[in-house]
Amino acid sequence: MVLVAAVRDYVSKMLSDIAGMKVFVLDAQTLAIVSVATSQSELLQKEVFLVEKAESTSSEPMTHLKAVCFLRPTAENMQNLKEILGQPRFGEYHLFFSNILKTNFVQNLADFDQHEAVQQVQEFYADFIALDPYHFTLNTPSNHLYMVPLLFDPTKIQPLCERIIEGVSSVFLALKKRPVIRYSRNSEIARRIAQDAARLMYEQEAALFDFRRTEVLPLLLIIDRRDDPVTPLLNQWTYQAMVHELIGIQDNKVDLREYSRVPKDQQEVVLSSEQDPFFRSNMFENFGDLGMNVKKMVDTFQSQHKSNQNIQSLEDMARFVENYPEFRKMQGNVSKHVALMTEMSRLVDERKLMSVSQAEQELACHSSQAAAWDELNAQWELPGVTDDEKLRLAMLYALRYERENPQQLQELVDRLNAGRSKYNSNLLYSLLKQAGEEKRTGDLFSNRDLFNRARTMARGLKGVENVYTQHQPLVFHLIESIVKGRLKDADYPFVGNHAQQGKPQDVVIFIIGGTTYAESRVVALQNAANPGTRVLLGGTVVHNSKSFLRDLEEVQRVGRASIY
Amino acid sequence: MATRNRTALFRKYRTALQQVRPASASTSAQGAVVELSNAPLLRGAASGYNRLSTVDVDGSREGVVSVGLPPPWVDVSEEVAIDMQKIRSKMGELAKAHARALMPTFDDIKGKGQEHNIELMSQDITRLLKKCEQKLRQLSQDRGHSEDMKLRVNVQRSLATDLQTLSVEFRKHQKGYLQRLQQQQQQERASITASYERGKEDEFYDPGFNEQQMSRLKKAEVLSEEREKEVQQIMESVNDLAQIMKDLSTLVIDQGTIVDRIDYNVQQVATSIEQGVRELEQAERTQKKGDMVFCVMVLIALCVFMICVLIFKKLVL
Repeated sequence: MVLVAAVRDYVSKMLSDIAGMKVFVLDAQTLAIVSVATSQSELLQKEVFLVEKAESTSSEPMTHLKAVCFLRPTAENMQNLKEILGQPRFGEYHLFFSNILKTNFVQNLADFDQHEAVQQVQEFYADFIALDPYHFTLNTPSNHLYMVPLLFDPTKIQPLCERIIEGVSSVFLALKKRPVIRYSRNSEIARRIAQDAARLMYEQEAALFDFRRTEVLPLLLIIDRRDDPVTPLLNQWTYQAMVHELIGIQDNKVDLREYSRVPKDQQEVVLSSEQDPFFRSNMFENFGDLGMNVKKMVDTFQSQHKSNQNIQSLEDMARFVENYPEFRKMQGNVSKHVALMTEMSRLVDERKLMSVSQAEQELACHSSQAAAWDELNAQWELPGVTDDEKLRLAMLYALRYERENPQQLQELVDRLNAGRSKYNSNLLYSLLKQAGEEKRTGDLFSNRDLFNRARTMARGLKGVENVYTQHQPLVFHLIESIVKGRLKDADYPFVGNHAQQGKPQDVVIFIIGGTTYAESRVVALQNAANPGTRVLLGGTVVHNSKSFLRDLEEVQRVGRASIY
Repeated sequence: MATRNRTALFRKYRTALQQVRPASASTSAQGAVVELSNAPLLRGAASGYNRLSTVDVDGSREGVVSVGLPPPWVDVSEEVAIDMQKIRSKMGELAKAHARALMPTFDDIKGKGQEHNIELMSQDITRLLKKCEQKLRQLSQDRGHSEDMKLRVNVQRSLATDLQTLSVEFRKHQKGYLQRLQQQQQQERASITASYERGKEDEFYDPGFNEQQMSRLKKAEVLSEEREKEVQQIMESVNDLAQIMKDLSTLVIDQGTIVDRIDYNVQQVATSIEQGVRELEQAERTQKKGDMVFCVMVLIALCVFMICVLIFKKLVL
């Protein structure tokens, strides 16, 4: 509830104090922020009868409406506001900005408002897209820039850093907390962002962030995607993560238009844990259990449908009409989930994902090199395995055994070159350069020290429930350490002179470079299991394997373009 | 949930900047009074609004944004809202009347009056609901500007949702009343037959009361017949409402679907404009092609004609 509830509260506060018919003016990013948190019908209830974009060039005056503008404080919006206020179309303007306004911004705004149409200017800190109760994202463009070294081109990376700091600080303002900040030691960008955030919260806007202190301060942990490059490369088998991996989820919407066998009204669907109770109870279930639950739902629906067919008396008719809206809603829901399941099953069969994924999990979790090499070769030979899958298998192998046998790596790269992969095969070396063992903080494969190795061996002996979900992202281990209060200082130092005794109750983990739905699942399950600690997860984007590989390619291209 | 109000700072800057600015503007305003006050009216007529422009001549810039009167369809939507308010209050009264009617009474005449009352009120409410629905349909009928259209469709949707919840509530009330009536009927019948049975047993001991019991029985039968008629009428009105519900369901948004997403609705306008542009281009292209085809046909006809001429010449020769 937490993150989504925060955004909803802000939106309803904006709208409820103003009476009369309203227009909601949004820019591209606040549109996404508002769309995941509230729905069109809720806006209608609050008398918002029109939603417009700030860049809209329409000149139709509608002075009986009041405009509520919710915008990000950017230079582009400054320009839009200049045009909007120069020729006001609506009776009143109430301006809400999603982040801190600099004084010269306010000054310029005052200059533009020659018609005195603006009634209020407020800062409402909802500057993040709250996908799920414990998961937010920022949808930053040009996400790949985080992998470019900071000294290389500071001006390009500056907007990304600023957006991250604005997003993270708005999360804390929405929660009314001020944290101690820790970051991933080996990552330059993490350190830079941690330091800038500390400066903002403790020096520049100290008064704004001065909230009631709790006994144990909350924690902000800033880590780098490159600390865990394995999770985005793996195939996923739990509902939400699987849909994103195979089809793609954007702001809780799934676009099925490319898939031919989907019925007309299910071409774009919404997968929101807030609005869909079936999804809420099944989003973390694995594919097998999910199939059974969908079947159960279909059976219930069918039995109700049959009883609706069987209308014999006036009473039955009356009952049918009464229950019709709910029936229709259920029907829509059932078709949506059935369509998604069908598509995913088809893709699993087509790409032979069951066997490939098993190999992936083996590579990620077990450490016998010879067995891994054999497994890799076996998968390679299978017919129907796509080039993407081969690339991913090769990358997983390379990440795990990069030191052991460089010749094998070269052989893999040659084989990839021979194939028709649309990705550059040097991507393998790029990946190692960015996220190789010495670049990573933390113990990704749990094999750095004796204790961890012993633990993994013990787990291996115990056996796993499900071969396809045995991999645990690095975030899982991090949360475990945080909850026990044993996060290593050597790996995750504090910023400046921050220090923390005891175990924090509120934790925000921000992954620069993007999160994955597998990680958000881990966070949600941990929150359910440890009610004393609440962990929130956020990132610059939400990755699946395609987007992660695309980022690697972009960085490679940027590097080559400037003889780097 | 932290917020910060910057309105005070904003106003301070605004007044400061205004004092710097208007020294140049107010001198020109004196001479151009007539033009200033006429121009908004002309503009207003063109866009279909009645404008009341409030241009102050002595330089203070209060309310240069002329507040226009809203377009006529807003009145329709307000009428619908008022009607719905009326419906709500009538439903409250009806609930009370139901409760009173269900209480057991021994007075037939008062009972009849109550039933009549209830019937009238139910019919009234049904009539109002139908009227609201028709007015709602009116809202989206005449096509205007695209923005105005969107606004109207949204207002219509919101009112349709409220109307639907109202009619569902009304039906639930009626159904509840119906059920309780039927229960009472059955109880009465049961008690009548029970007393009749008891009456029969008493026959041997007290034959004198037979006739009285028979008349009581007849009265009770008449009463139950009337109750049945009432039940039938209520059923009919329930089915009337079913029709209204079906019509409304096309207007109401299904919650949780893609149509309920704000970004989807905003993009629809954008895509429809894009599509319009594409269609125009396509039309242009086909038109041009049409011209070309025509030229080609003409040329071919000419060629054929010339060939015929040649053949004729040869033949003649």
